[in-house]
Amino acid sequence: MFRYFIKRLVMMLVAIFFIILLTFLMMHAVPGGPFTNDKKLSPQIEEAMNEKYHLNDPLPVQFKDYLVNVLHGDFGPSYKYPGKTVNGFIGQGFPVSARLGFITILFVLLAAIPMGIVAAVRNGKWQDMLLMALATIGVTIPSFVIASLLIYFFAFRLNWLPTYGIDSWKGYVLPVIALGGYSVSYIARLMRSSLLEVMGQDYIRTARAKGLSEFHVITRHALRNALIPVITVLGPTIANLMTGSFVIEKIFAIPGLGVYFVNSVSQRDYTTIMGVTIFYAAFLMVMVLIVDLFYCMIDPRIKYD
Amino acid sequence: MEQKWEMLSSSNEDREKIWSRSRTFAGDVWFRFRHKPTALAGLVLIAVLMAFAFFGPLFTKYDYAEQNLTVVNIPPRMTVYDAPDGNGYLTITQNLKLLRVDQDGRLGEQLSRVRDDDARSMTIFDCGGTEVGLYYGKTPYKVCNPDKLTVYHHRTIWNRSYLLGTDALGRDILTRLMYGTRVSLMVAFVAAFVNMIVGIVYGGISGYVGGMTDQIMMRIVDVISTIPLTLYVILIMVIMGSGLQSIIVALGSVYWVDMARVVRGQVLSLKNQEFVVAARTIGSSTRTILFQHLIPNAMGSILVTVTMLIPSAIFMEAFLGFLGIGLQPPLASLGTMCNDATENLRTSPYQLFIPALVIVLIMFGFNFVGDGLRDALDPKLKK
Repeated sequence: MFRYFIKRLVMMLVAIFFIILLTFLMMHAVPGGPFTNDKKLSPQIEEAMNEKYHLNDPLPVQFKDYLVNVLHGDFGPSYKYPGKTVNGFIGQGFPVSARLGFITILFVLLAAIPMGIVAAVRNGKWQDMLLMALATIGVTIPSFVIASLLIYFFAFRLNWLPTYGIDSWKGYVLPVIALGGYSVSYIARLMRSSLLEVMGQDYIRTARAKGLSEFHVITRHALRNALIPVITVLGPTIANLMTGSFVIEKIFAIPGLGVYFVNSVSQRDYTTIMGVTIFYAAFLMVMVLIVDLFYCMIDPRIKYD
Repeated sequence: MEQKWEMLSSSNEDREKIWSRSRTFAGDVWFRFRHKPTALAGLVLIAVLMAFAFFGPLFTKYDYAEQNLTVVNIPPRMTVYDAPDGNGYLTITQNLKLLRVDQDGRLGEQLSRVRDDDARSMTIFDCGGTEVGLYYGKTPYKVCNPDKLTVYHHRTIWNRSYLLGTDALGRDILTRLMYGTRVSLMVAFVAAFVNMIVGIVYGGISGYVGGMTDQIMMRIVDVISTIPLTLYVILIMVIMGSGLQSIIVALGSVYWVDMARVVRGQVLSLKNQEFVVAARTIGSSTRTILFQHLIPNAMGSILVTVTMLIPSAIFMEAFLGFLGIGLQPPLASLGTMCNDATENLRTSPYQLFIPALVIVLIMFGFNFVGDGLRDALDPKLKK
């Protein structure tokens, strides 16, 4: 267990190093400097800017400086907004995104697991058909389409919920549904098939033979093992939700990290792109690692090497 | 009496002969595939959409980039008012002008404005000599007789000039939809193909050579698969600039990891079988064994992975288009059309619904075909 953890940790650190290197090289491969703009700067100003941000140093030196700064948790200044730092953007945007992501994860689990259980218990009946049809639709419709449809019907037509902002709990309803739609469908299908498989095993028959109620059999005996595949996909699901939130934050005008990222991409704010990419990647990898470790802990059948 | 029954010959040769028509593996797969209704429906759906995308533009009289600012945001089903001169109908455009519409629903010329009547929130237009008023005091706007203030009789008819309506710049949505579907399909096919080639070569070498090479190559794959790839697709788009080629490069360079794993697994399980040993015995080169013997045998799983890759590429392309870092206007893709439509969602929801429906149909089609193909290629997998 401990060895496995160390191995994963080392692999993650290697991956993060390569992410930093790759992102750094990619951003420096962009034709034209970071200050190349529609407005032509005078050569003196451009020279002074390059001097100020150490852009005249050789590339390896720049990379070393950047790496050291990142390891100290400093992603540097924004090139497009004088006086603002990338850390500032992350500090403002990340809590908002994280809250949205956390609520969405809760929603996904609370919706998908009961859906999967009902579909498995009523296997072949109309409840199963209905839920699985819904789930099939859910995995094929892109989140931004779901979001726009929800806005059109619930905000414009029915006027029940706001179209943008997260000032009250009402503002969270549509973004959470749109963001979680895919994952709910996917996990519900997974839950159904895994529960069906577990329900056919001998120890379930034993539990029934002991005279336990069906409810007890499912919740106490079947569900524990059936949940394992669901936990496996939880890591990638978190990654999916976080990157999916770029679009959702844009549609619902939620001031999260995704909005800063998309804005920095369209404005070519190189340090912000770099910083947010590295931050996102590192965060997601840590989350996936935690989920995987948790997964190893609850299922003793899994080998660690 | 004629003999109704005759003796079959009883030689051993005839007994051993298999009388039914023998079916090739491909024939077998096709048999199982076409007996699955969803798979067949998916195939038909894809064929129809491809015909729509590639042959559709031959039948349309508009160009995808042609703007016509007099017919902005005209819906496919429009409300029309009887023209007072008895010459067809009138419809209200988004920029508060009146357009003539003939009996069938074809759009005509714009009426000329006579004067504004601000006191009564009305604009007066000249309709064949009679004056008509466009009342814009409250929604919905109405066409009325300016003297008696009676609203003309109105009804809804289909738009025959622009079957699916026009967008915010007066471009024909049907034509843009054809080009958009074409771009989306093309991006998906090329990206899936590039991924397939990279994945086959990488996974094939890793699996066949084995040993240390395999270890190192697979560790690299492990590292890549922990990286959230969406971010990298976006980064590549930033560097290369938005455009068709950059999307293809971005999608093609990033998603080969799954393919490499699948191919490696297949090659590992096949490489110790007799036919490979036989090929090695007669002195075939590594390249021949890998690409002539091993890969064709792994083609089934490769094909399934590719069909599953195509919808995710379409999804990614739409995602990029929606974020506004995909194609540049006036080029259209399904994602950029959805993105353009969100600005007018309240007044012209059809602009979003139509491309969204096509995206969903494509996704359905490929998912169904992928599922069907997987079951057909390997019936043991079927639950």
